[in-house]
Amino acid sequence: MSTATSASTDRALGPVDIALRVGIVGLTLATGYIHSTLGGLLFTLNAAGYLVAAVAIVIPLALAVRFRWVVRLGLIGYAATTIIGWAIQGPYFTTAYIAKAIEVTLIILLAIDFARIDGNPINVIKSELGELSARFGRRSATGSAGA
Amino acid sequence: MRRLTLGLGLLVLAAITAACSPTAGATPPASAGPVDPNAPVVVAQNNVFSPTTLTVKADKAFSLTLDNKDSAPHNVAIYKDSSAAEQVSIGAIVSSAAATQPVPALAKGQYFFRCDVHHEMTGTIVAE
Repeated sequence: MSTATSASTDRALGPVDIALRVGIVGLTLATGYIHSTLGGLLFTLNAAGYLVAAVAIVIPLALAVRFRWVVRLGLIGYAATTIIGWAIQGPYFTTAYIAKAIEVTLIILLAIDFARIDGNPINVIKSELGELSARFGRRSATGSAGA
Repeated sequence: MRRLTLGLGLLVLAAITAACSPTAGATPPASAGPVDPNAPVVVAQNNVFSPTTLTVKADKAFSLTLDNKDSAPHNVAIYKDSSAAEQVSIGAIVSSAAATQPVPALAKGQYFFRCDVHHEMTGTIVAE
């Protein structure tokens, strides 16, 4: 388990990591599919959001790989917001309970995946902020030297 | 490690199967109640109710049938007004099916109804 993001992006995935990733994509598509069957703009947008997240969690683009931790946290937040929104507004029927069970499982798998790949989220955010400020510091120093 | 992988796989498979099962569309029809041929009918199609205004006799209980022609789940939920704070009658959520719900006697006045799944689907019941 690493704490540095840059190290985690280079790490080869083991069988458990792959199983987790497959699980996350499967559950994301499953809840996205349920929302797509409900009709209406809100549910369709929600389904589209899940579809985008499912792609973002596996797409082998350098930028997506570099910021996969953001995708994981984002998807956790997205699923949690969906659950909270439903808890407040309802309606409470079979399909909704199935979707919420899937979303809770999804959050658990994402948390496990995050812990295995990225480590402590606070450390990851600290490290990213440190890297960002160092980069900006370097850029402003280069800018003033060039001026 | 194999057990964990197998466990995760089964969990995901169960979730996907549940999501794709025919019963996932709505509550089972058995809970929707029998359809009354004499009950006033509200049709739900393309996420719109028709008619949007229903006139009924005041102070007389009646049955209301929702004919949901959409595959998306809908119901008819009647409230005192558009704040939806006070329930009058909540119908079962059904997909591609009809369902009849009992509505208690309404005092003269206007009542608000909506689909509890799609809040943009609304209508008015006038008791006179």
